[in-house]
Amino acid sequence: MIKEAPRENRAARYLVSGPPLLFLVVFFVAPTLIMILTSFRFPGEFGGLAPIAAPAEKISGEYGFTPEAYQFFFSDVLYAKIFLKSFGVALATTLICLIMAYPLALLIARSEKRFRNLMVLLVVLPFASNFLIRIYAWMIILGPESAFSHFVNAILGAFGLAPVTLLFSPFAVLVGMVYVHLPFMILPLYTNLEKHDASLLDAAQDLGATAWQRFWRVTWPLSLPGVFSGSALVFIPVLGMFAVPDILGGTGDILIGNLIKDQFLGTRDWPFGSALSIMLTLAVLSVAGLATWFARSATGQRA
Amino acid sequence: MNPRRLLALPLVSLLLIALLIPFVTGCARQDQDGARVAGNTLHLFNWNNYIAPQTIVRFEELCNCKLAQDYYSDNEEMLAKLAAGATGHDLIVPTGNAMDTLIRQGALKPLDKSLLPNLKNINPAYLDTEFDRGNKYSVPYAYTLTLLGFNAERIKELGLPTDTWAIIFEPEYLEKIKGRVTVLDSQRELMAAALKYLGYSANDTDEGHWKQASDLIIRAKPYWAAFSNTSYIKELAIGNLWVAHGYSNDMFQAALDATKTGRRFTIGYSTPKEGAVLALDSLVLHRSGHRPDLAHQFINFMLDGKNSAELTNLIGSGNPNTGAMQYIRPEIANNKAIFPDAELHNRLEMLHDLDRKKRRLLSRLWTEIKLR
Repeated sequence: MIKEAPRENRAARYLVSGPPLLFLVVFFVAPTLIMILTSFRFPGEFGGLAPIAAPAEKISGEYGFTPEAYQFFFSDVLYAKIFLKSFGVALATTLICLIMAYPLALLIARSEKRFRNLMVLLVVLPFASNFLIRIYAWMIILGPESAFSHFVNAILGAFGLAPVTLLFSPFAVLVGMVYVHLPFMILPLYTNLEKHDASLLDAAQDLGATAWQRFWRVTWPLSLPGVFSGSALVFIPVLGMFAVPDILGGTGDILIGNLIKDQFLGTRDWPFGSALSIMLTLAVLSVAGLATWFARSATGQRA
Repeated sequence: MNPRRLLALPLVSLLLIALLIPFVTGCARQDQDGARVAGNTLHLFNWNNYIAPQTIVRFEELCNCKLAQDYYSDNEEMLAKLAAGATGHDLIVPTGNAMDTLIRQGALKPLDKSLLPNLKNINPAYLDTEFDRGNKYSVPYAYTLTLLGFNAERIKELGLPTDTWAIIFEPEYLEKIKGRVTVLDSQRELMAAALKYLGYSANDTDEGHWKQASDLIIRAKPYWAAFSNTSYIKELAIGNLWVAHGYSNDMFQAALDATKTGRRFTIGYSTPKEGAVLALDSLVLHRSGHRPDLAHQFINFMLDGKNSAELTNLIGSGNPNTGAMQYIRPEIANNKAIFPDAELHNRLEMLHDLDRKKRRLLSRLWTEIKLR
């Protein structure tokens, strides 16, 4: 009887965790392995891949495996630069999202219960329309003849500053990125903040803490798990995003996502595209690992 | 034809939905029409919006069959779908270099010219191209030029030339239109323009010449607003852009939009005197097609001047069919940017495919250009 219970538990655990585990194996592990394999092959003459085995008829061209794609990656500092730039954009987007999302999430969490669901609904409402359409809408908002552009330039003009172009700029890319990813920061923050025990704040107040101290020493440390998961949900997708710089970016706004997309479409260089993706995955994993380590040591200190 | 990559996403989803509909309604339809419709269908793998609706209706009446279309928005997408195993397409409409690939892959069926009496209508200048000597596999369908579109009033006001690539490459001109210019987000097309401007062939693969071209591009880049493959159509038409490097049929669309919405300016377009890229799309028979008889009937039907002219009247594409000229609206037929004269025609070039090593090098050059 005593031994039975844990075994049942274990079976149940596998039953519950099995499908998501299978999902990960099929849609993450397998594709990653395919990508690793692809990155060590030769590109085909017409795109696609050159054969692994020697072709039956003796046609010219290479076959088999090669580290060429990685050699090409490290042959030029160019690709490191583009990684650095993409990480910069992802970091900036994450920080802006955090600064914008935190007060809003706090507001929702502290408002009356009957309004909360409505407010959360409003946060996710933009998902109801297609992502590309929302980005195209920003093209109109930021366009040189738009009311918003005229307004911004009127203010700049009042201070004697030269007018600026908003569309097709790094600024537009950042606006698009923040706009698209903001809900992904708000929701985890809200779920975290909503669970906070209000009596902790009362206790802090009774002990003489100021409003700032109550936030900085009670609410903020407790919300760190929400901050970390929200940051991961923003940072990682931004790294792979290519549509926003494509549509809103100017002549210099190329990110790693655009480069990878281009290898599979225009350049038809699958091995190099795969090598870039593998390098990106490695970079993301190390960032995620670093974040977990930070999260652990941050929460560990308080425990 | 131009790559409309960003449109591809919604279109692909529409396509998926369209593919699902026959499964849902298929049973009902087969009961009504029996197997006749199912077996009597010509499958055309075509560009989006690349045949006039009334042409389809007339062909279906003529052949007593159905014309079913699948769509692609650039050659790479078409090649990728075929490589992934798409079958059952009787006819495809690839651009020259993609057709070259298909021929070398052995993916096409040779034509039976005895079934194509209307082939005599095609202007010999578009026959016997380097991609398909003797037109063993292909019949020219329509073409596009890569050229310059501009806000005619603005450019006249500023006194800028419109017949040279200099307007998008030379700082002395660019200074007056800074931030109002876009160029194509295409390695091959932009390099071709720069190479042409420098007096080289659009297909030049000499690395020294490439370097010169990329230096030219990097010098001009600060003056450009963006690299754009599709949004320039709208931006030209509403007046945000003054000069755009793009495709002739897109400029035709922009000019039409500007007129329709009653703008106070007009959109002009012209082919630079240094020469430009010509993209000739041809009808070819895919190996996996089941109805070569209908396919030949369709090709011959499209070679008829009246049918061929309908496409040009719809989208402003260039037309290699001499029999079509009398049916084409005069404002299009007399437009030199759509129908280049013989002298300019000599300076047009069709792009060849690059080998894999050159593709990789060009991609690095392109990344460098963008990162600057």
